[in-house]
Amino acid sequence: MLNLLWLVPFFPFLGFVLLVSTSGKMPKPWTTMIGAGSIGLAALTTALIAYEFLSQDMTSFQLHLWTWMEAGNFAPGFSLYLDGLALSMLFVITGVGFLIHIYASGYMYDDEDFPRFFTYTNLFVAAMVMLVLADNLVLLFLGWEGVGLCSFLLIGFWYKDPANGLAARKAFVVTRVGDTAFAIGLFLLYKHVGTLDIQEAMIKAKLLWTEDNATASLICALLLGGAVGKSAQLPLQTWLPDAMAGPTPVSALIHAATMVTAGVYLIARNHELFLLSPDMMYAVAVVGVLTLLMSGFTALTQSDLKRVLAYSTISQIGYMFLALGVGAWSSAIFHLMTHAFFKALLFLTAGTIILSLHHEQNIFKMGGLVKRLPLPCILFFIGCLGLIAVPPTSGFWSKEQILNATWESSTGGPLIWLGAVLGAFMTALYTTRMFCIVFLGPSNGDVHEPKGFKFVAPLVVLAFLALVGGVFVETAWQLPLSNVFPGGHAPHPPTVIVVIAIATPFLGIAISYLFYGKRVFSAEKFANSALMKPLKTFFDSGWAMDWFYDLLLVKPYQWLAKINKKDCVNLLPDASSAAAKILHAALSMTQNGQLRLYVGVMGTAALFVIFVVVFL
Amino acid sequence: MTIEELIALVPLLVVASISVILMLVVSFVRHHRLISLITLAGFIAAGIMVFQSMGQPAIQITPLIILDDFSRFFIVMTCFASVPAVLLAYDYLRRSEDLKEEYYMLLSLAVLGAVVLAASNHFASFFIGVELLSVSLFAMVGYMVHGEHKRVSTLEASIKYMILSGVSSSFLLFGVALIYLNFGVLTFEGIQQKILNGTLNGYGMMGIAMLLIGVGFKLSWVPFHMWTPDVYEGAPVPVTAFLATISKVIVFALGLRFLHESGALGLFNVQAALAFIGVLSMLVGNGLALMQDNLKRLLAYSSIAHFGYLIIALIAASSASATNKALAMEAVGFYLVAYVVTTWVAFGALSALSQPEHGIEAENLKDYRGLFWQRPWLAAIFSVALLSLAGVPLTAGFIAKFYVFAAGASYTLWFLLGILIISSAIGLYYYLKVIMEMCKPAEDENDFQKAAIPFENKLILLVMTAFVLYLGISPQALIESLNSAIKVLM
Repeated sequence: MLNLLWLVPFFPFLGFVLLVSTSGKMPKPWTTMIGAGSIGLAALTTALIAYEFLSQDMTSFQLHLWTWMEAGNFAPGFSLYLDGLALSMLFVITGVGFLIHIYASGYMYDDEDFPRFFTYTNLFVAAMVMLVLADNLVLLFLGWEGVGLCSFLLIGFWYKDPANGLAARKAFVVTRVGDTAFAIGLFLLYKHVGTLDIQEAMIKAKLLWTEDNATASLICALLLGGAVGKSAQLPLQTWLPDAMAGPTPVSALIHAATMVTAGVYLIARNHELFLLSPDMMYAVAVVGVLTLLMSGFTALTQSDLKRVLAYSTISQIGYMFLALGVGAWSSAIFHLMTHAFFKALLFLTAGTIILSLHHEQNIFKMGGLVKRLPLPCILFFIGCLGLIAVPPTSGFWSKEQILNATWESSTGGPLIWLGAVLGAFMTALYTTRMFCIVFLGPSNGDVHEPKGFKFVAPLVVLAFLALVGGVFVETAWQLPLSNVFPGGHAPHPPTVIVVIAIATPFLGIAISYLFYGKRVFSAEKFANSALMKPLKTFFDSGWAMDWFYDLLLVKPYQWLAKINKKDCVNLLPDASSAAAKILHAALSMTQNGQLRLYVGVMGTAALFVIFVVVFL
Repeated sequence: MTIEELIALVPLLVVASISVILMLVVSFVRHHRLISLITLAGFIAAGIMVFQSMGQPAIQITPLIILDDFSRFFIVMTCFASVPAVLLAYDYLRRSEDLKEEYYMLLSLAVLGAVVLAASNHFASFFIGVELLSVSLFAMVGYMVHGEHKRVSTLEASIKYMILSGVSSSFLLFGVALIYLNFGVLTFEGIQQKILNGTLNGYGMMGIAMLLIGVGFKLSWVPFHMWTPDVYEGAPVPVTAFLATISKVIVFALGLRFLHESGALGLFNVQAALAFIGVLSMLVGNGLALMQDNLKRLLAYSSIAHFGYLIIALIAASSASATNKALAMEAVGFYLVAYVVTTWVAFGALSALSQPEHGIEAENLKDYRGLFWQRPWLAAIFSVALLSLAGVPLTAGFIAKFYVFAAGASYTLWFLLGILIISSAIGLYYYLKVIMEMCKPAEDENDFQKAAIPFENKLILLVMTAFVLYLGISPQALIESLNSAIKVLM
């Protein structure tokens, strides 16, 4: 059974090939069958493999498919590597992915490019599975880039609006910065450990470097660069809010549940390398905590429903980074999983709401939806509970683990912990604000709720998972991560610390409810006060990061491009192409079709060759 | 001749008997499909028989023929690569007005020549093989000269090829004579002993130089390449494809065997001449192809460049280190196989759009404009072939070029590798230009892209494309069988 592991990436890839080769000429029901069915089969395979893997108590399983090419030490193979970490990721990718595909088959049904949508998402799932199962860094990089490509294609899915194309380009360019760092990190790692096999590289790295080695730190820093690009963390987070230009199921699938967690996976996969460098661990934690705070503030000022969710994604991934930084590896993966549940739920419900309101995304034009959209309201409420981490929803368990680990860890500490708790407070604040504005208050406009199995079933399943997934993992069934990550005792910070961490979100909910639900205080007045107004503008722009990058990078670059219109660097290639053309023109004259010239050339050349061989 | 030797010789006899059987059949009944099927069956049977005997010990049959794994490898390749030659010709002839059946006799004789060449380690069989191949090719190039819609350039190409090939054969023969004058033997291994004994003198050197000239002509190495574009353009597509694949590959394989077994490859002067020819071939081949808008000429120039790249691996095969030598020989073998399958795809695509019934072949670049929108599959397959020729990863051409590069690097041929990089960059331009043309929006009605593709042609395209991709993704199987093939030369 385990030997069928290759089927997991194969099914989505086959779906992609089938869809792309029929170039959208298939009937729509077939497209749905192939598009969503392939993911379903992958999920089924994952479940069967998981059953065998877990029931046999295996640590890891390696499936060598074939060696691509062998040249000396350089022998990248097509090998898959399954361990608890990869398996946990597979659950999220195929399981949550399947639910989102079912939903998408309803959501996207009326789109004229329905098949193209599934073509891209199937390729995306195949690439993501490849990334997770890759046994060596070359294959991992292949999946990494494939995921980036699909993200680009899907953000710009509605390419007829230039703004969407720009958003896609921005996402591609910004993540490319991270990818470059990642690639350099890979080269450096290969140069020092001499192998591309991930497990082997980790073992060799441990033998090669002692703690705090500068080279190991540098490699970790470069890998972190790749991770922050893909996972939209500071300072490369600017692409994610704009990526909401894609269809909502894409936001759920790629920009909440799976792709953006690739950076988390990368660091978790290479955790032994990071353990060699406490400085970089600390850096990861700091990146996480700064990101979660920053995006929390920004989420509070947004008026677009999907952008609020986008910033909350950035912030929640910040928690995962924090967990990685403080060495709570399993907690990071746990949070990744619970986050996938409630964030996919939130995004898909948001999709239903947006569709009901005829593609209205501005939360201030919603309002009073609680009566008119009761089921989405309940589902969204459950998602919000998960996001705020109200006990006993799934988000609570994972976030609590992270906060506790932060307090005790040597790379964390009280200050970082305080930031994280403040972040939890902010989360409660903006989530309650979003919920109150959307669902409470006066009604606005007419509503047309999309009905049907495809719109409801996935949401109900996700809501169930968001509610009890956490408690299930916490009590009944552990994630199979104990063999992957170094074990440690469960953190037990002082009770008061735990209580503060649990109580803070409730405080946030209460304050936010007073502002937006009960309207005891006026949020507008507060925001428009002399002190807050500039701050609000500042937060609203995402801490002016776009402006800053525009000033620091884009403008100078454009200026440089302008003054260098003729491109002095290009002179050499231009000259060489001119030289090639001259060469061509000169040589063409010899091919005049006349036999006497041909024989003459041959005779002369023969003399020359004889001269070289005999007399040289 | 013992009975074992006779049994080992059966595949060669099968190929030889095809033409005899065909002559007999034709005198009773002219049936195009039957004739082509007999030819096909003969090639496949011979190929399978030799394939079965791979791995058995080498057998020397008379001083003329050697059947070891090296020759078996190339005989198998010849036989199987001749299958598309039959299929493509069947499809082409069926649609043209000319006589059909005699073509297969010429084809089977040419293949016989190739098989003899692959199994030769003696100058007599070498010369017989080369002449069998060339003389059949004269006739094949100029085969379709009848009918209302004949192509005028065909006869011209045939005569040019005949005269120039005659010149090269005279060099070859004179070279053999000079070598005999010096050494008094005609077997490759005999020469090696004489060179080791120190009997090599000016006559022998001149003989080797003249052999290089003769072989260089067949491989269209620069500066013996002048015939290539004209003949490629003039010959009907199936003949061009045969000329481009089997006839060249086999001569190269034999060249490797001769240079290696005779020890001539180790001589500094020979290497210098080869390097000189290689640099010229790479630069001139790609330079000539640059702005070319006739696809058959473009493929001709590209083949010049490809055999220039191969020279790097050939020189590297003189390495003293056994591993480096094995690497270089593997490189040669892989490159030849990759080149053959890729070229078949390219010519298969060319033939798919050609209309022999009107005497028109799809050789102009503008015929391909917008093909991607009319025929996405065909355009995709042709693109795979072009990318493989350019050496883009995940195709056979990439692995082949990588191998050549690795072989050259292991022998530290940095100058030649520099030229390889520069000329590959030039090459990329004209391959991509064709792909770009296919992606442009279609202009007006284009008859070339309308006609249905015959089944045989589709089969060739699919199978050969599958090979190109398979070798690019998983080349290990071929590398392993190459390992055993080159072991006999080590």
